[in-house]
Amino acid sequence: MQTAMAKGSIFVARSLPDALAALDDRGPTGAVFAGGTWIMRAPIRHEPLAANYVAIGKIPELTAVTITSETIEIGAAVTHAALAAALDGLPEFAVLTMAAGRAANPAIRSAATIGGNMATTQFAAADCVPALLCLDAEVELGSPEGCERMPLVRFLAIRSTLAPGRLLTRIIVQRKGRNSAHARLPLRKAGDYPVAIVSLAISCDAAGRVATARVAIGSVEPIARRWERLEAALIGHPIEPERLAQLAREFADDFTGRDSVEVPAWYRLSVLPSLVRRAATAVLAGA
Amino acid sequence: MGLSLSINGDRATPSADPITPLVDVLREELHLTGVKPVCREGFCGACMVLVDGTPTLSCLTPLALVENCEIRTAEGLSTNGVLTPVQAALETADAVQCGMCFPGMVVSLTHVLATTPSATRDDIRAALTGNICRCTGYERIVEAALTVVRK
Ligand SMILES: Cc1cc2nc3c(=O)[nH]c(=O)nc-3n(C[C@H](O)[C@H](O)[C@H](O)COP(=O)(O)OP(=O)(O)OC[C@H]3O[C@@H](n4cnc5c(N)ncnc54)[C@H](O)[C@@H]3O)c2cc1C
Ligand code: FES
Ligand code: FES
Repeated sequence: MQTAMAKGSIFVARSLPDALAALDDRGPTGAVFAGGTWIMRAPIRHEPLAANYVAIGKIPELTAVTITSETIEIGAAVTHAALAAALDGLPEFAVLTMAAGRAANPAIRSAATIGGNMATTQFAAADCVPALLCLDAEVELGSPEGCERMPLVRFLAIRSTLAPGRLLTRIIVQRKGRNSAHARLPLRKAGDYPVAIVSLAISCDAAGRVATARVAIGSVEPIARRWERLEAALIGHPIEPERLAQLAREFADDFTGRDSVEVPAWYRLSVLPSLVRRAATAVLAGA
Repeated sequence: MGLSLSINGDRATPSADPITPLVDVLREELHLTGVKPVCREGFCGACMVLVDGTPTLSCLTPLALVENCEIRTAEGLSTNGVLTPVQAALETADAVQCGMCFPGMVVSLTHVLATTPSATRDDIRAALTGNICRCTGYERIVEAALTVVRK
C-alpha cells in the first residue's frame, strides 16, 4: 500500500537568513518544515501538503539551547529529546523536561521540534504548550523585516494567521526559582496523545506559602490556557494536593471539554482534579 | 538529478520526489522490504531505521532530509550473514511470532543496547514505547534483550 504524496520541493536551509529568504521567495506556496511529524501525516488527515517546504532542522541558531543564570533560550528547531537532555537536572524546569521527555515515543521525540509543537494550530494535545505557559514563556518571531518578541499567549492567538515568511525562531523563559511539574494522562501508559495535561509552576515564601502560582491546562480545550481562578485560590496557602484537587473539582466548569473519537468531552474534565493532585504532589516532592 | 543516499553502506540515487517518505523509497525503489508501512503515523515503529545511528521513523521522514546521512535498515545490521547478538537472542528465545514488528524491534533494541550496555528492564521497555507488537509478544522480546545485557 502506498499513500500518494503530492510532488513538492524541500529546501534545506543552513542559516536563519537563508531560511527567511527562502520563505520570502516562496510566499504563500511555502511553509516551514521542522521535524515533519505533523506535516508527513497530512495525507492521513486528508489535507494537502504545501507546494514548497523550507526545512529548518539543520540551522545551528535554531537548534541550540542556551542556559544562563537569568534565562533559558530554546531554538525553535530543538527536538523534544534534545530539550529534555539539556534541561535535565534543573528542577525549576521539571515541567518542561517532563513535557519534552515523556511526550509521544522515543523516535518521535528525536524528530519533533518544540517550535513545531507550538506552531501546530490544529493540535490540541501539545505537551510543551501548557508547560511553557506556566513558565510565562515569551517567543520570538523572525521575518525578513527583523524579529519580534511576544508573550506565548499572544502567539497562540495569532499563530493560525501568521503571514507567509514569518517563523518562530526562539522561546525565552526567565529563571525565577520556581518549582514545577507536569501531569498528563495518555490512554495507554505511554506512546499516545494525552487526554488532559496539567502544568504547574509555583514559588513559595519563607513560611512555605504560595507566593506565585501558574496552572496551565492542555488537551482539554482546542488551545491550552491558564486556569486563573485556581491560581488565585492557591496564593497565601501551603501546597496541599488534596485541597487543590478539591478546588479543581469545584472550578471544573471553567473549561469546556472537547469531544474526539478517543474520549468524550466530560472525561477530559473528570480527570483534571486527579492530575492537579498529582502535579501538586510532584511540586512538593521537588521543592 | 536524484538525491544521493547511503544505505547499509551502499550508495543509491533514488528518483522519487524529495518529499516522498523514506519507507516508500526503501521498499519500492530499493526493495528493502524489512521496513513496513503499517500505520504511517509514527505510532507503530514497524518502519524504523537507523539514521546516523538514531532510531528514525521512515514513514515520517522525507527523502530530502536523509541526503548524506548513514541509513541502516534491519537488513544491514549483521555482517557476513552472521546474526547480531540481538537477532540471535530473539531467535533463541523464540520471540518472533508473525514477524511484522520485528525489523523495527531489532532496530530499537540494537540502539538501546549499544547506547546503554547495562540497560535495565525498564530502559528496554521505555525504548520500545514506539514499537507495537500486534501479536503482543512483549515479554519474550524484553527477556531476549535482557539476555544480551547479561552476557
Ligand atoms: C505517534 C505520535 C505521538 C505523539 N504524541 C505526542 C504527545 O504525546 N505530546 C505532544 O505534545 N505531541 C505529540 N505528538 C505530536 C508531535 O509532537 C507533533 O507532531 C510535533 O510537535 C510537531 O513538531 P514537528 O517539528 O514535527 O513539526 P512539523 O510537522 O515539521 O510542522 C508542524 C506545523 O508547524 C509549522 N512549523 C513548524 N515549525 C515552525 C516554526 N519554527 N515556525 C512556524 N511554523 C512552524 C509547520 O509549517 C507545520 O504547519 C505525537 C506525534 C506522533 C506522530
Ligand atoms: S508505519 Fe511508521 S510508525 Fe507505523
Ligand atoms: S510478532 Fe507479530 S506483530 Fe510482533
